Amino acid sequence: MNGEMEQDWLDKKLQEAVPYIEDDGFTARVLQQLPASEVRFQFLRPFILVAASAFASALTYVLSDGGRFIIVEMFKVTTIPTVWVVAFALASGMVVMAGGILAAMSKTTNQIQS
Amino acid sequence: MELTDAGLVARVLIDDDQHAYGELVRRHQSSVRGLLRQLTRGDVALADDLAQDAFIRAYKNIRSFRGEAKFSTWLYRITYNCFREDARKRKELVGINEEQWQAEQDPQTVDPGLRHDLMHALSLLPLHERSAVLLCCQQGLSHDEAARVLEIPLGTVKTNVLRGREKLKKTLAAWGS
Repeated sequence: MNGEMEQDWLDKKLQEAVPYIEDDGFTARVLQQLPASEVRFQFLRPFILVAASAFASALTYVLSDGGRFIIVEMFKVTTIPTVWVVAFALASGMVVMAGGILAAMSKTTNQIQS
Repeated sequence: MELTDAGLVARVLIDDDQHAYGELVRRHQSSVRGLLRQLTRGDVALADDLAQDAFIRAYKNIRSFRGEAKFSTWLYRITYNCFREDARKRKELVGINEEQWQAEQDPQTVDPGLRHDLMHALSLLPLHERSAVLLCCQQGLSHDEAARVLEIPLGTVKTNVLRGREKLKKTLAAWGS
């Protein structure tokens, strides 16, 4: 017991012997020396995404004869029996829900491990 | 709400967010610089240079951090490697040998002003014992975490901590008498 108390005393003294070291510009010096990041180009990301989406949409519109296939497919959808539409909606909902549960479980496991 | 270390690391990984990394540096700079000051026996300039190297190296290799251990443990490992590489270059890795240690702990040879200075007693320990004592007793790492940082077997860490503690106690007792 005495030995344990001595150990605790020694550990406590060792911890007390190292005061908090003020930053005094240390972090700034480290950040200055970091390799150039891609952060400066990150503002371009949304513009690139929007431009790519617009280009893909325009291409699809042209190649599909003015989007005529959409009208055709919409017409087909209206002819599907109501029971099938309800069943499809239900199945889609269950798939999305299962995906959400799996993602939540995976995130919880990662948090516990880290 | 303040982000955890893991959250900040995620930001660095996903967005290459250097501000997030800056926050990690701010959080850990004191302990890393403190550890290096002890390892370098109080050489503040060298310790700070090594600390900078360690943080830059950690940033460059952050993708190898898999979150299996705490960020601080992973950072200490890089820090210790930086110190070890530098010590190898300076041929100081072997530390003080046993005879030198015995001579230095002689109360007659020690500056009276330092008699009760625990840090001085610590600096007299050989490097392998000093590192183990610093990590386990001062920085609060478990033996297992210290073994990962020092890349030595768990049993060796326990032995080094035990021996280091004993020597510290002996030195302090000798100075106290």
